[in-house]
Amino acid sequence: MIEGLVALAGMILLCFLRIPIAFAMAITGVVGYAYMRDWNWTVAFAVVQTNVYETGRNYTLSVVPLFLLMGTFVARAGLAQELFRAAYAFIGHLRGGLAMATVAACAGFGSICGSSIATAATMAKVAYPSMKRFGYSDQLAAGAIAAGGTLGIMIPPSTLMVIYGVFTETNIGKMFAAGILPGLLGALLLCGAVQWACWRDPKAGPPGERASWSERWASLRDIWPVAVLFVFVIGGIYGGLFTATEGAGMGAFAAMVFALWRRALTWKTLYQSLVDSGRTTAMLFMILIGALIFADFVNITSMPADLKGFVTRFEVHPVLVVAAIMAIYVLLGTAMEELSMVLLTLPVFFPLIVGLGMDPVWFGILIVTIVEIGLISPPVGMNLFVLSTLLPQVPTTTVFRGVLPFIGADVIRLAILILFPAISLYLPSLMR
Amino acid sequence: MSGQAGVGPAHAHAWERRADAALGIAASAILFSMMTLTFVDVIMRYVFNRPLRGAFEVTELMLLVLIFAGLPLVTHANEHVTMDLIDRWLSPRLRNALGRLMEALSAALMFALTWFMWIKAQRIAGYGDTTEVLRILVGPFVYFMVGMILLSGLIHLTRAFSAGPR
Repeated sequence: MIEGLVALAGMILLCFLRIPIAFAMAITGVVGYAYMRDWNWTVAFAVVQTNVYETGRNYTLSVVPLFLLMGTFVARAGLAQELFRAAYAFIGHLRGGLAMATVAACAGFGSICGSSIATAATMAKVAYPSMKRFGYSDQLAAGAIAAGGTLGIMIPPSTLMVIYGVFTETNIGKMFAAGILPGLLGALLLCGAVQWACWRDPKAGPPGERASWSERWASLRDIWPVAVLFVFVIGGIYGGLFTATEGAGMGAFAAMVFALWRRALTWKTLYQSLVDSGRTTAMLFMILIGALIFADFVNITSMPADLKGFVTRFEVHPVLVVAAIMAIYVLLGTAMEELSMVLLTLPVFFPLIVGLGMDPVWFGILIVTIVEIGLISPPVGMNLFVLSTLLPQVPTTTVFRGVLPFIGADVIRLAILILFPAISLYLPSLMR
Repeated sequence: MSGQAGVGPAHAHAWERRADAALGIAASAILFSMMTLTFVDVIMRYVFNRPLRGAFEVTELMLLVLIFAGLPLVTHANEHVTMDLIDRWLSPRLRNALGRLMEALSAALMFALTWFMWIKAQRIAGYGDTTEVLRILVGPFVYFMVGMILLSGLIHLTRAFSAGPR
């Protein structure tokens, strides 16, 4: 137990000194491993060799760059504009309607894009100018975009679910199916948060114009590529037509064809899309490799067993255990980068959860929710940074304040998901 | 989930910029082929009932190349995820010194990794390991990996010692 905690503290110290998190995890992992094996460096180095090589050459993981690429193409194709327009036509005339339309459009975009950051970044360009035009407060506008963007990793496809699936050997197709209902629930609760914000400050979200039914149907016609892509890729994976990797490859190809057809892709932007996705892939894989090395060390310490022993000895109720883990995550998530936080702690928490007889798919959905919350919790939340970068005219403190009601909505969703596992597990249970 | 978006430092060496351009082209070509290969494989299987032989292995090797061609790109663009909370409490001089120290440490890690992977590469090449279906020699790919890790280490090393604020 002690050695695990010391290593964790050492790792966080290294991170604070601003060494890349991936490197910090790898260094602590190797040193820890050697220590556990009586300073036998040969075995420790073998752990590094295996993890670096095997992770690089892992067929399942090739889904990551392909989904990233699909998201980049979809963003380039400009489908976000149509999604926002359609959502606006239906609910724009309500109080806070544009903010709710933003959330709905984010949910739609999330169904073809597996990244929260890409969803928030794309929506910021589309939804913020409209909200400004109708006199929305910066607080509400920024909050809705940042929070709505996080739906990208809950509604399948999802890069995070893929990484969770590989890391814990959980079925990725089931994870995708499990994310659909919690994602919709999340969108609904975020709309609730919009209403709450408008109730607190009635000037924050004035209604937009009402659209006629013919305009509404017309706007729906424009979003058919999104529907087609979603049904094709997620439906194909869900129905067992192809594996997650194949689905990602097909999706990326189809998204590229859409982008080409809409003349949104030049040689230059094609190259840019490819190289951006490639770089993000490398960046994610470094974190993954670092975390795997660290996990190998944690697995030979007594930490996972000690924790399990503690829980069994005191006969803590499983739901309380989950709630405690989630509370730890919410706190850690305010200050830490979310992916590394999850990958660092999973080797300890995952065996505990499975040992208590809980469903790994359900736990995965909770983890995704936690990461969503972490992405928008100040001071360190990636989606907040993205908004501050894209909307330099909005002060960071305004973004921070604006996002608070949405964090509240996400915490409520987390509680609902903990109490009602069926919301996550119903759809995967129908899979063959 | 991503580091600070950004471009490489303006004062990067010419060799660094050239390597960056070449690897960018390589990485994008690989990713494009990966996508196309998956697409063709699925179409061949469903439409013509003739899946591509060994598409699986080729994808694996392409992923390896993609990640490790991407590593120096990430390093060059300074996109590794870091926690920069501490920066606001440090004076510029201290921040600079710490930054250089961490670059040196990162370089040391990369060089150590180069050495481990070099040993692994020699072993794999020595056995003449090949993939199962297409009998592609794996050795060269592992050597490529070693080269890219070494290159990243060199980028960190130049950053630790070159002029300009860190």
